[in-house]
Amino acid sequence: MSLSETIAKSYRFFACRRRLLFGLTAVLLLLSAVAFARIRLEANIDAMLPDRGSRVAADFALLQRAPFARKVLISVETEADMDSAVLVAAADRLAAALDPAVFDRVVTGPGGPLQGPLVNWLEGALPSLLTASELQDLAVELDGEGLQNRLQENYEQLLAPQGWALKSLIRRDPLSLYLQGLKKLRHLNMIPQMRLVDNHFVSSDGKSVLLVAETAIPMTDSAGAKTLMASFDAAVAATLPPGIGASLVAGHRYTLANAEAIQGDLWRILAASTLALLILFGCFLRSLQAGYVLLLPLAVVCFSAVAVSWFFAPVSAVTLGFGAVLLGITVDFGLHVYFALRRGGAPPEAIIGELSQPLLFGALTTVAGFAVLLFSDLPGQRQLAVFSIAGIGMALLLSLLVLPHLITAPRFSGKATGSHWLRQVRGQRRLILGVWLLLLVAAGWQATGLVFNGDLRRMSLVPAELAAAEQTLQQRWGDFRSQAMVWTRGEDRDQALAANEQLFALLQQAQSDQPRVSIAPLLPSTAVQQANRAAWQTFWTGPHGQRLLADLRRQAAEMGFSAKAFAPFFDRLSEKPQPVTLEGLRQAGLGDLVDSLILEQGGQVEVLTLVEDHPELAERVESLLPGRAQLVSQAGFRRDISAAISRDFIRFMLSAFLVVILFLALLFRRPVKVLAALVPVVTGLATMFGSMAALGLDVNLFNIIGCILVIGLGVDYGIFMVCKIADDRDCATDKAVLVSGLTTLAGFGALVLARHPALHSIGVTVLLGIGPAIPAALLVIPALYRGDKP
Amino acid sequence: MKKWLYTLCFCALLIWFCLPPLALAESASPDTEVLEELERLSAGIETLSSDFIQEKYLAVFEEVMLSRGRFYFKQPDSLRWELTEPVATGFVLQGDEGRRWHQRTGSEEHFDIDREPIMKIVAEQLFAWAGADFSWLRQNYRIAVEGRAPVRLRLEPLFETGGFLDHLQIQFAASGRHVQIVELHEADGDFTRLRFENTRINQPLTRELF
Repeated sequence: MSLSETIAKSYRFFACRRRLLFGLTAVLLLLSAVAFARIRLEANIDAMLPDRGSRVAADFALLQRAPFARKVLISVETEADMDSAVLVAAADRLAAALDPAVFDRVVTGPGGPLQGPLVNWLEGALPSLLTASELQDLAVELDGEGLQNRLQENYEQLLAPQGWALKSLIRRDPLSLYLQGLKKLRHLNMIPQMRLVDNHFVSSDGKSVLLVAETAIPMTDSAGAKTLMASFDAAVAATLPPGIGASLVAGHRYTLANAEAIQGDLWRILAASTLALLILFGCFLRSLQAGYVLLLPLAVVCFSAVAVSWFFAPVSAVTLGFGAVLLGITVDFGLHVYFALRRGGAPPEAIIGELSQPLLFGALTTVAGFAVLLFSDLPGQRQLAVFSIAGIGMALLLSLLVLPHLITAPRFSGKATGSHWLRQVRGQRRLILGVWLLLLVAAGWQATGLVFNGDLRRMSLVPAELAAAEQTLQQRWGDFRSQAMVWTRGEDRDQALAANEQLFALLQQAQSDQPRVSIAPLLPSTAVQQANRAAWQTFWTGPHGQRLLADLRRQAAEMGFSAKAFAPFFDRLSEKPQPVTLEGLRQAGLGDLVDSLILEQGGQVEVLTLVEDHPELAERVESLLPGRAQLVSQAGFRRDISAAISRDFIRFMLSAFLVVILFLALLFRRPVKVLAALVPVVTGLATMFGSMAALGLDVNLFNIIGCILVIGLGVDYGIFMVCKIADDRDCATDKAVLVSGLTTLAGFGALVLARHPALHSIGVTVLLGIGPAIPAALLVIPALYRGDKP
Repeated sequence: MKKWLYTLCFCALLIWFCLPPLALAESASPDTEVLEELERLSAGIETLSSDFIQEKYLAVFEEVMLSRGRFYFKQPDSLRWELTEPVATGFVLQGDEGRRWHQRTGSEEHFDIDREPIMKIVAEQLFAWAGADFSWLRQNYRIAVEGRAPVRLRLEPLFETGGFLDHLQIQFAASGRHVQIVELHEADGDFTRLRFENTRINQPLTRELF
């Protein structure tokens, strides 16, 4: 039994059992809705990033662990010529006013006066930190006049007002050895243009104070982001005087801006779409029964989401939102059924049976287009594929089995009506083909300039105000958030630190003048510490050290220092030096810094180094420390994902096209029919690419989805038109194709009005792709293909 | 560095400079009356200048360290502190801006007290005293009047000093017009004595000094 007969038979079967049919349909939809309510949704960007162990996914995970990646940065700033103390005081008031329920922790500076505990720690740590080479340099520096100058400085400092404060330090360290340790501390300065003023982070121009806050609100939580921004704005209004402002930079702000833009877009798009659909309804449908057709996409959304949840956990909210919009295309199936039945000309079961084959193949080609996304590296695209396939499948079943029973067909009179459309088109054949060819040539020529852009930032809205805040932050504080990160790994801390030391040495050779952040100078591996301590003891018991100590005693006595003046220093030299530990660094007040550079989790230790980003460095670092170091950077990540998306784009386009051709070959079995059915797709894609290139629009992640939509829908139009011409039948196909295309333009094309780049991209793609595909189907196919009759 | 040390240093200096002359008449009035009288009399001071001799009795030196220098203050926020012997060094503060020099090294540099925690504390204390903020003084020290002819004050810190500072002793000149001696006693037994001479109040100070 053929498909047409099966569908016709099912129509007859349910024609006298409609309550059963509607009841079963209602139960199915209800169950889908209940199951949908229990799906666990996740609203983050992970679904839009490659997985399956890809380099890009691993890099993204590492980028999220950058010291400032998840922090809320608040810049308190002024343009006025203002005393830093006033600005610092304002920043303190703002920090105190920030709601602790929203901002868990607000840091204004290094966390208490560093000098005291830090200098004490450095004194004890020096034997483990100073290398043999540095000790030799020290011996040279303190030889002769060097030592005399140090002692003279000590003498003068004791006379000065600060002498009281320095007396204890001078006694413990008359040679100012702690300065060697301070030199190493510069490697922990994460913000290049930062200076400490009254223990606060102040920009080098003195016009900005930085607050670093933490919040439990996830960056992707738009409602939470709104609360966070409201709380921030209220604190700013309550605390900052005129002339002092504050700006907040964090992922939350992007989330909120995008959510608000989408909300605003939705109303605009909804209004435009509704208006366009009402006009279409008034022009072509004019029946309340057509409302069932328009409800078709809504009916399949829940089922499609549940289908996704069978294969993926968690389900991406982005996928569902986007997929729900995509399912708008299923209205096309209903429109073909509606127009065919309303036109009549045959018994309803015969009409549905005849329509079933092009509908099935139209659905299959669209499914095939989306099926190629199942092989995507992006989990969100794989989810979208399942969502679309399930939705299209269910919509096809509802269109063929349920919808015909909801639409009243005119009583069959036994006489078919003829079509004048084909005759009219063929009368203008040369003109139509001439214009079409010109269009293709022009579009193909322009399309050569098309650019792929994989930058994820292009997919989200960045308001001018936020872009300005980002720029100001970068100007005032330096580009501290875009430095490359090198992670060295080890099974334990010591192994990771050893790799980190090697990396540090390598970087010193490669770019000695570039700023970088590393824990290596302040927390060497056990082996290096032991070697340093041995060198320390050898130095002070050896000829250089002994001579230096003798000179110190002699010169100190000559300057009037008492014999016991530096007893604490000599006592310290005779003590057994202690190793430097992570805990010691934390006690010295460097806890926040070192904890952001050393991560211990899952039986693995990772140590972070920040480097000026240079493309050639990644290869060098990873080749010299294979398997133990990985360099990631924002710029590198953008390059990688851009390349991945470009590869995906070409792969998907070719795959979708090949699958579509395969299905067309199976359906039509004649090359001329296959080629004719491809006319709308080829026209749509060529015009779309050519127009985008001419308008200077890049291809992004969302354009890929739009392209598949154009392929799926365009080939549907081709199939219906070729079937109509080949079989010389008139099921109001041309009208159905026209209204289907126009509803798609009304629904998706309206997205071009969106402010949000992603929605706008889809709108552009569909408008530029489907727009030309409709006339290509209605005009070019009849002009090119005359049917099987001679 | 320890905040209290700077507090001590400049409290000592400024007590001497800022406290006004006292009436020497024998009186049975309580200590608070003496302090209130000091506060009242200090209200009109615009400039101060004086030579000083510093004696440091420190265990790190075999002998007493003697040095000489000069001090200048001008309302509202200008100050100059310099040693002339045995080394020539010093600094000037004007609001938040500072300048220091050192004759031996030939160096001179400008600095921002906001960027130097130690100097910031020094300046805060200094200008608070120069402004004769006695309420601040009472908040930070327990003050006892040990003698009235001449007036001698003993100041014990109420704040955490890290165990270094024990107390201050301030002695005014017999005339009662200025402080003559300040002693800062540290917890380890070391102490510093500052003797002020040639003190002048409300005399014009040239702009070049600051």
